[in-house]
Amino acid sequence: MSTRTIKVDYLARVEGEGALEVKLRGDRVQDVKLKIFEPPRLFEGFLKGRDFREAPDITARICGICPIAYQMSAAHALERVVGVKVDPAVRMLRRLFYCGEWIESHALHIYMLHAPDFLGYQDAIEMARDHKAAVEQALRLKKIGNALVALLGGREIHPISACVGGFYRVPTKKELQAIEGEMKWALDASIQTARFVAEFDFPDFEQEYEFVSLSHSNEYPLNEGRLVSNKGLDIDVAEYEEYFAEQHVKYSNALQSQIRKRGAYLVGPLARFNLNFEKLPDAARRTAAYCQLKPPVLNPFRSIVVRAIELVFACEEALRIIREYEPPAAPRVEVRPRAGTGAAITEAPRGSLYHRYQIDADGKIISARIVPPTSQNQKRIEEDLWHFVPQIATKPVEEVTLRCEQAIRNYDPCISCATHFLKLNVVRE
Amino acid sequence: MRWLIIGCGNDGRGDDAAGVLAVRRLRELGVEAREHSGEALALIDAWSCAERVILIDAVVTGAEPGTISEWDAATAPVVRDAFRTSSHSFGVAEAVELARALDRLPPSLTIYGIEARSFGAGEVASVQVASAAEALADRIAKEIGECTNRD
Repeated sequence: MSTRTIKVDYLARVEGEGALEVKLRGDRVQDVKLKIFEPPRLFEGFLKGRDFREAPDITARICGICPIAYQMSAAHALERVVGVKVDPAVRMLRRLFYCGEWIESHALHIYMLHAPDFLGYQDAIEMARDHKAAVEQALRLKKIGNALVALLGGREIHPISACVGGFYRVPTKKELQAIEGEMKWALDASIQTARFVAEFDFPDFEQEYEFVSLSHSNEYPLNEGRLVSNKGLDIDVAEYEEYFAEQHVKYSNALQSQIRKRGAYLVGPLARFNLNFEKLPDAARRTAAYCQLKPPVLNPFRSIVVRAIELVFACEEALRIIREYEPPAAPRVEVRPRAGTGAAITEAPRGSLYHRYQIDADGKIISARIVPPTSQNQKRIEEDLWHFVPQIATKPVEEVTLRCEQAIRNYDPCISCATHFLKLNVVRE
Repeated sequence: MRWLIIGCGNDGRGDDAAGVLAVRRLRELGVEAREHSGEALALIDAWSCAERVILIDAVVTGAEPGTISEWDAATAPVVRDAFRTSSHSFGVAEAVELARALDRLPPSLTIYGIEARSFGAGEVASVQVASAAEALADRIAKEIGECTNRD
């Protein structure tokens, strides 16, 4: 049987460093390996012995794209350990803070990282020459997201204001009102974004997924909720490790997460949308209807449209919180150390982020466990490729390679979080 | 003339600190300069109100470490491969070319590249790169002083 070797040394438009190898014999897939060769980052190790109040700032350094997710998961987990509940206004500010991260991250991924795949451009720069208005829109959307993060977090990258118990500083009503006008623009722009990407051509590819996300009784999930799936999972986040296991594979420095006895699963926009559609506020639901998008969405390539719906949601929710905001009596509640263990999951832009901490009576961290979304999606990405590559195997090497990259970008992988570039090797034997 | 001097890099990744070291030296010399992560979209935003921008970053062109290259980015495309010292997808070269596509380049954009070789995590910059950063900062401070005096 004829063998072919397709080799790509650099996969751009993902966050971090890794490689993909696809082996084909004729048109049959022999092997798929998502290799993350970024050295292990050892955060769980060097959290040991640190004061529990340091965890949100230390873990925020794991990622420049989603530091808020790290701060939120850490703060919630540790608040569970020490038994504090934050002021309702602080809770809303945390939601607003998270909306800022979703807006900047989703706008970046939709326009700059993923859209060029659908429109046939090598990258966003080439795309910008023909789609100037769209790229300008992306830049402004991202800037608004960044502004929200800087307002609540003190600065855009690796914000410093969130803490166990609340924030070191909360904004004044006037400060939030000052960005209301831009946020109204952002809501309109996000709706246009969804309409724009909904017109793309999508490969005919659907999979039977186990979708996993937080689910809250009356909110689209960000910070709180039970962890649920479309296959019957419904657990408190504290039970996470009973149901999920991480596995080391020789070729990757990131652990692969699986649901015990069931295998790969999917976290992120597709899972959240499919499991929480009815919790989306009006504009997001109307936009989904306009885009003819209803759950369950089983085509991972349509995740770009779902991500745009979540962008609408994030702008809509941010606007609501800004309008209703009354500053809390105090920016944070006092936290005193107490020996114990606590876990939390919050919804990073690219999926559920699990943190668990054990601390001693003096507040020193005894152990920490972090399971980022890309670790959770890693196996599922490989499985998508096992099934997707045969559909396109007869196409020229360049086309196969491009489509594989596009399929990986469906997941907006943050390889930096999972342990950092993706090199792609398609080997035909 | 609205000047903006930006130095990009990471001082925890060996020679990648080149731009940041130059900025710190400029500040010692009393010249206002900004450290920057090098993230493309933020860069475009940063130079949107400036008329004359100087950007300093580590580059890899194959020359000896510490060698200084200069590009007039406002008039000609930059060599994208030289700036692939970021592990992120959008860096300095992408910022320049994206800004060019969007007509958002400043009227004047000079890029100084300091040749780098080692980018090890937790390492400090090599002597050659640190010296080059200092020498470049001294040169820029002098040029700005002369321009300001003329203005």
